[in-house]
Parts: sequence; structure tokens; C-alpha cells
Amino acid sequence: MPSVDLRNFPFSAVLGMDDAKRAMQCILVSPNLKTVLVRGGQGSAKTVLSRSMGSISGKRLINIPVNVSEEQLFGGMDIDATIKNGKAVMQPGLLSRANGNIVYVDDVNLMDQRILMSLLNSVLEGKVVLEREGISAEYETDTILIATMNPSDSDISSHVLDRFDLCAYASFPEEEDSRAEILRRNMEFQKDPERFIAMYKDEEDALKDRIDRACKLLPLVSISDDLIGVSVELAVKVLADGHRGDICMINTAKALAALNGRDEVMKKDVEEAAMLCLAHRRNYVQEQPPQPPQQNEQEQQDEEPPQDNDRSEDQNDRDDRDQDEPENQEQEQQQPPDLDFQKLLDDMVFEIGDQFRVIDYLDDRNRKVSKTSAKKGRRMIVESSDSSGRYARSRIPAEKTYDIAFDATVRAAAPYQKSRSHTDMAINIQKQDVREKVREMRAGCTILFLVDASGSLGVRKRMAAVKGAVLSMLRDSYVKRDRIGMMAFRRDTAELVLPPTRSVEYSYRKLEEMPTGGKTPLGEALVTVNEYMTSYSRSHTGEMCYIVVITDGRANVPLKEGSDANDEVLKIAQNLSIPQVKWIVIDASAGFIRFDNAEKLAMALEGTYFRLEDLNADRLAESVRAAIDR
Amino acid sequence: MVGVIMEKLLFPFVSIVGQEDMKKALLLNIVDPSIGGALIKGEKGTAKSTTVRSLSQILPFRETVKGCAFNCDPSKPDRLCPYCSEKLDRGEKLIFEMKPMRVVELPLSATEDRVAGTLDIEHVLKTGEKKFEPGVLAQANGNLLYVDEVNLLDDHIVDLLLDSAAMGVNYIEREGVSFSHPSRFILVGTMNPEEGELRPQLLDRFGLSVDVKGDKDTDTRMEVVKRRVAFDTDPKTYTEKHRVQTEALRERIIKAREMLPRISTDDDIIRAIVTITTNFGIDGHRADITMMKAARANAALDGRDSVTKDDIRAVASLVMSHRMRRRPFEEESFDTEELEKCLQSI
Repeated sequence: MPSVDLRNFPFSAVLGMDDAKRAMQCILVSPNLKTVLVRGGQGSAKTVLSRSMGSISGKRLINIPVNVSEEQLFGGMDIDATIKNGKAVMQPGLLSRANGNIVYVDDVNLMDQRILMSLLNSVLEGKVVLEREGISAEYETDTILIATMNPSDSDISSHVLDRFDLCAYASFPEEEDSRAEILRRNMEFQKDPERFIAMYKDEEDALKDRIDRACKLLPLVSISDDLIGVSVELAVKVLADGHRGDICMINTAKALAALNGRDEVMKKDVEEAAMLCLAHRRNYVQEQPPQPPQQNEQEQQDEEPPQDNDRSEDQNDRDDRDQDEPENQEQEQQQPPDLDFQKLLDDMVFEIGDQFRVIDYLDDRNRKVSKTSAKKGRRMIVESSDSSGRYARSRIPAEKTYDIAFDATVRAAAPYQKSRSHTDMAINIQKQDVREKVREMRAGCTILFLVDASGSLGVRKRMAAVKGAVLSMLRDSYVKRDRIGMMAFRRDTAELVLPPTRSVEYSYRKLEEMPTGGKTPLGEALVTVNEYMTSYSRSHTGEMCYIVVITDGRANVPLKEGSDANDEVLKIAQNLSIPQVKWIVIDASAGFIRFDNAEKLAMALEGTYFRLEDLNADRLAESVRAAIDR
Repeated sequence: MVGVIMEKLLFPFVSIVGQEDMKKALLLNIVDPSIGGALIKGEKGTAKSTTVRSLSQILPFRETVKGCAFNCDPSKPDRLCPYCSEKLDRGEKLIFEMKPMRVVELPLSATEDRVAGTLDIEHVLKTGEKKFEPGVLAQANGNLLYVDEVNLLDDHIVDLLLDSAAMGVNYIEREGVSFSHPSRFILVGTMNPEEGELRPQLLDRFGLSVDVKGDKDTDTRMEVVKRRVAFDTDPKTYTEKHRVQTEALRERIIKAREMLPRISTDDDIIRAIVTITTNFGIDGHRADITMMKAARANAALDGRDSVTKDDIRAVASLVMSHRMRRRPFEEESFDTEELEKCLQSI
């Protein structure tokens, strides 16, 4: 964090960031737009810009720290006053001070999701409803919210993202000239802030004036049905969920028209509005992709891990956009459904006008959003049963507790202090006041691959695909702190090849060495995995476990001599019940005659079912992830 | 301690485009609150919260004891709060008052003590008199309790809701001192399943459930946007324009509520309901009872005095969709063809 006083850096002195600037002006103009998110990497001046909002709006910026508690934010008990008065007195929260001002959250993605959700809802509804610790209140909060985040840390879920009316992407300028200019302005500002601010005074005043005039003009701005139609169609084409995107787009387009001194919305306004309102609401069809060409599969495996791909794309995004080479991207992304999608949008271009920047623009940018949110989406947060984890909330203990929430306990006791005797204690706390801590921790999960290494699966390429998938999962889990283990079954035993681990290197070696061939002792494998995972899940309470079975399901080694191996497998599967474990079955059977053994197995296990041929190595990793995150 | 704030105008219920199932589930519950509430699941931005909140425009009036913090219903003397029953015991008369039913919201950040209310134990020990600070469950009595993002609610708060919803009474037990008051409410929850599923116990508590989806049809979406923008531009005029329709709906609800006890159901209907639930493999009697109640409420809303197959057709998916055992790789979905076949066969 730079040590300069950011608040004073003039809005108009921030170079570039046109989208973000536009978004911020829009919410100052339209009372129907209330929340803006600025996404961008480190050093993209998103914070500087957000903080300069004060200088063009004349409003105060209320900073909300990411580790804010619910009491601080919405209001809670004023302990001093409560002790004195003998009854609960409310202490207003940050949001009550925000009335008529601007609320600002830096690194919003690191905020507790529940608190963030409540914050967004309060801002959007313009009121706070409080029912906490003796305090029951409802107050108005007419405010706007500016939030920034760096998507490379972690992403917020699409559900929360949708609550942001507008979302702008800040990117660091690549050109040397602009970088130099930014540096120059920064130096000047640091050397003599007063002078620097004076230099931009005219520009700032002009901007303020423009916003004021736009506010007055806005009620008179009209939009044609044609343009409403275009907006709605765009929202449908990008598969945005719900109607928020459409409505925001119209409101934004109107604000933009007003800012430009017009009383009628033009195509250009809709175009700009679409970029701000639809990019973060875009969806991709969740379809199983058709099998990619052979050589592609080869290439993919030789390529870098997927994460790295993302990174490099992010950097190249801006350049790629101007090039006429969609094929290159499509190949990398492996998302053939998008080709049709592109065509649909091209048709739209025809309808709307010549240079409709939205289309490919959205296409590139949104990939980032949808990818990150799909992959990193929601991490499992579980209540911790011992005294580890973060203190999230307090509650009235059901029995004797050792993990006392002192703050909540004192608050609970506060209203009674006046009536209680104080012999030699400052605060008299009684049994009924005691509150205990509810702690939360982010649980990683454990994924155990149960791999059929028998001869029936001996088609070498399939085994390679399986190995590739496991490895992709490993890389993924390394980032996420998940554990990955592997058990292989062949001949007449099931063997734990790799106990659940977070070490990529170790597991890679084990994977390389895994032999294949022999019969399929599926029943034996289920029994072994049951024994192992039952005790494993017992010693890892709160951790969600997934068993990914990769097999053709055609068992041929019965546990009991003389019985039918396949019937036996289904019977075992039906009776399996391991706590905290979910099953995913991946059908590896090949050939024209499809056997439904694996499908039946999935059914018996009440697990999720996939076919291997619908997946290549990278796809498998993604699908498993999707099944887990669901 | 509630501050006086200007009641913000809400988007008119009668002007919400489409989402017929959601609206129906809510209306049926208002006609017969014993149906057991509604769970509204669906993708974001589909007017879930807007619809529920706007119900306050059409909720009917009801009789309550004047000044009672627990909104006691004077017509149910066996279900009064301790204060009201004490008054009756002392020979005092309870004064009635007509109050509109309200939408009481339970914020996600609510704490246990404010949900259940708090008992001042010291006061009890010192004076022998019970002193109770009513919570949300007291406010909710006789009203509609709305929980937005119900799937994100803390487990121990969910437990409180479950207990009250099941018994219609909120029991508070502290240090051997107990207190109870009536707490019967229409529980309405909204959620986006992407954010996590609901606990099965809570799921089963909801009488009806609805899956809402955003409309993909351009014309419908245009209508949605136009109406919303018109409302945002001038909420007052827009609301005024829909006043007649809103009043008409409120009237319809009041009539339906009056009519409800007189609606007849013959054996054929009972048999039809049982046949359907059996056919769909639904365990327990809760579904049967709920379907009967919902079908009657539906008939009442239509102003008919007897239940027909059409009523069953209209409510079947609302009652059964969240109660069907989900097979491994199937999304929760309702087979309307199957229902049709079933209805034809009866």
C-alpha cells in the first residue's frame, strides 16, 4: 500500500481506466444504480481511483475493512451506555454513517461471504434490518458501494457477483508511454500534492458540473423500445441469469446519455452499458464437449498446466482482441459450443451497427470471470468442532463450554449491570450470560481416485488419460490445499498406491510407476476403499471426501468363490455408507457394445456418473471439480 | 426501538411478469396458512425477493389483541401468550384490533437471542414475575416470516425456526425457568441453490416449493425491464396505476379465506390425491395432507366451493417436487406427463 495520501489524488488525474471511471460516474448520476465492482490486478490504480470518488462527488468515503464484524458494520450494542442505562442501547454501525455517502471496500473478495451478502442487500434495498444481541432496529441507508478486488487471489461466487450493478475491469497499461506518464504524475503528486491538485482543479470542476447536470437531466432521458430490445437480446445471448443485468443495462445507458448531455439513449450508450453490466453476468453453457481430435489431445497433455494457460491468456487478452484469430483461442479453451455462440453474436452485430465492440470484448474478458468463478467458486466452509478456526459468531452454549466468546458474553451481561450487585468485580457476569464461540474453518477436501488398472482397461491411451486427469487434479488441489490419494485395483487385490497427500512431486512419481493388466477385482476394491475411507474420514472430521471410481465396472473376480462378481459388486455398493463421502463414477468402458455396469454401479453408490470418452484429461479434472463444487 | 422510517414503495405484486408458480404458492399460503409455507428456489435476479416483499400490499387484515407484543389471536383462547391468558384469568377483557398481516424479515445476521427473544432470569428470581423481551418469532406470530438466502442461515437459528414451525409455539428454557408464546407463521424462504443446498429437515418443513427460472423469451424480458424501469422512474404514479388491480386481488384473497371452511372434498378427490402421491413414491402423510389443503385453497381462490381434479393438477408439483426421492444423477424435476397420466387414470 503506497504511503501517500490517496484521498486527494484527483479523479481526472488517473490515467486510463475508462470503464471504471464511466461506471463510477454512472452510479453518481443514477439513483437506481448502487453498487460497483472494480476488478483488476495489483497496481492498476483501482484503489486510487475509487478513493478519488470523494473529490468529484463531494461525498464522504466510508472505508469498510474486509475483516469487519457484523456489529461494526450494521450496528450492535453500546456497552458503556447499556451498563449505565440498565437496558440495551444501540451503537450505530458503519452503515448508518454511510447514509448519503459512499461506502468503499478494498479486496472485497476476501470479505466473509455472508457479511458481504448482507452488506450488498442493505445497500441495494437502502435499509438495514438489525436483530442482534438485544438490539432490534431498522434504519435507512441511502448509499452507494464501491468495491475493488484482485481476481487472482480468490473469486466471489456468481451469486454475489450478480449483486454488483456494474463491474469494470482495470488493467495495467502496457504501453511504455502511459506507464511513464503515470509515474510522472505520481512523482509530481508526492512532491507537492497541493500544487498537483490545483493543476487538475479545472478538470475536476468540469467533471463535477457534468455529473450535476446529468443528475438533473436523467429523469427526462428516454430510451426507444428498439434499444430495450437490443439490450435484452444481448443479455439473453450472453446467457445472463435473471433480469438484473437487463435492468442495470437500461439504467446505465440512461445515465450515460445524461452524462453526455442527451435526453435520448443511443446505441453507443447501450454498447458501453453492456460492457459494464453484462461482462460479470455472463454464463457458458455447461455442456459435455464432443471428443476433441486425437492430435489435440496429445498437444494438450504436452502443454503447460491449465493454470498457467490462464495466466498467459490474461496477459495477452488485450492484444488478442484486436487480432482476427479466434481459432487460436478456441483451440486452447476447448469450448466448441462457443463457436456457435460467436456466430449468434455476429448476427447481432449486423442488427446493431458496425463497430459493436461489446462482442469480442465480452468474450475475452468474461472468460476470466467464468473460469475463475467456476473453478475456485465456493470453498467449503465448515463449523469447527474444537477450538481451532476463525471466531465467526457466538451462540448460547447448549452445555458447558470452554470456548467463551468474551465480547458477546459481556454484551449479554451489560443490560443487567445496573441491577446486579458489584462486590469486587467491575462487571458481574452470570451463568446465563455466557456465550460460546462458533468457529469456522475452510475445509479442503480429500479426493481419492479408485483406479481400475486391470487388463480390461488396458487400452494404453485410456490409462494415460486417467493418469493425466489425476495429475491435473493434483495441480489444482495443490493451489487449493486439497488432498489427493490413489488406490489401484488389478489381479486380485486393491492397493493404496498413494495415501492422500498434498505433495505433487511424490504423487507424480507414484503415478508414473503404476502398473496395469490382469483381472478386475472390483468388489475387493470397494471393500478395501470402504475400510480405508471409513477410518480416514473419522480422523479428518469436517473434511469432505470424494471417491472417484474410474472403471468399466465389469468385475470378474468374486469375493466369494462361485458367486457372480457383478451382482456382488452392486450388493456391496448399495450397502456402502461412509460418512462425509460422496462418489463419482467415471465409465471407462470402450467399444461399440456398451455395458451399463458402471452406470449401475454409480446408481448403487448414489454417485455422479461420467463417461470417459466425453472427457479428455483436462476435461476430467474439470468435471470432477464441477461435481465436487456442486 | 424501531426507528421511524419512510415506508419505501415496493414494486406492485400484480405487476410482476410471469412467475406464476411462485405467485400461486404464496397466495395459497395466505389463503390457508396451515399449508406450511413456501420455499422458492431459483437462479439469481428472478424477482424472488421482490415478489415476497410485495406481498405486504395484498395481505389481509386479521384480528389481534391490542397492545400484545406476541400478536395473539383472540379467537384462539387456547393459544394465547402468558400475558394475555393471565389477563383473561384475572377476568379482564381482551381488546381486539384489526391489523394487516405483515411480512416480517429475518436478517441473515440475526442472533439467537433476538430470534427467540430473551427471558430476564434475574427478574424472575427477584420478583417471581416473568419478564420477556420478545424476539422475531413473537413478531412473526400470525404473520409471514421471510428468510432471504435461507440456505445460508446458521444451523442454530434454523433449529429455532424448525421447532417453532413444527409446534406453533416458541419455547424458551433458561436455568430452569421457562416461557412460551404462540408463534405460528407462514414461513417463506428464498434461495439460490448454487450457493448450497438446504438441510433436509428444513426442506421437508416447507409445505410447498417452487423452482423459478429467468425467462429467456425476449418479449417477456423486455416487458420485465420496461415495467421495472417505469417503476424506478416514478414509483408513486406506477403504484397508483396498479391500485385497482391490487385491491381486487386483496378482495379475492379475503373472499377465499372466508370461503375456505365451506369447501367440500369428496372421497374421489381424497383417493385421487393418495393415488398420485403413491404413484410418485412419496413417503409419509405430510404430502397428502398438504396437497389436500393446497387444492382446497386453490378452489377457494377460484371462487369454487368444491375441489376438482384441476385443483390437484394446479398444486401437485408445488407439493411434491421437493419431496420426491432424488435418484442419483437426476436434477430435481417434476414429471408433468406422469402426473397427467396419473390423473387420467383416476
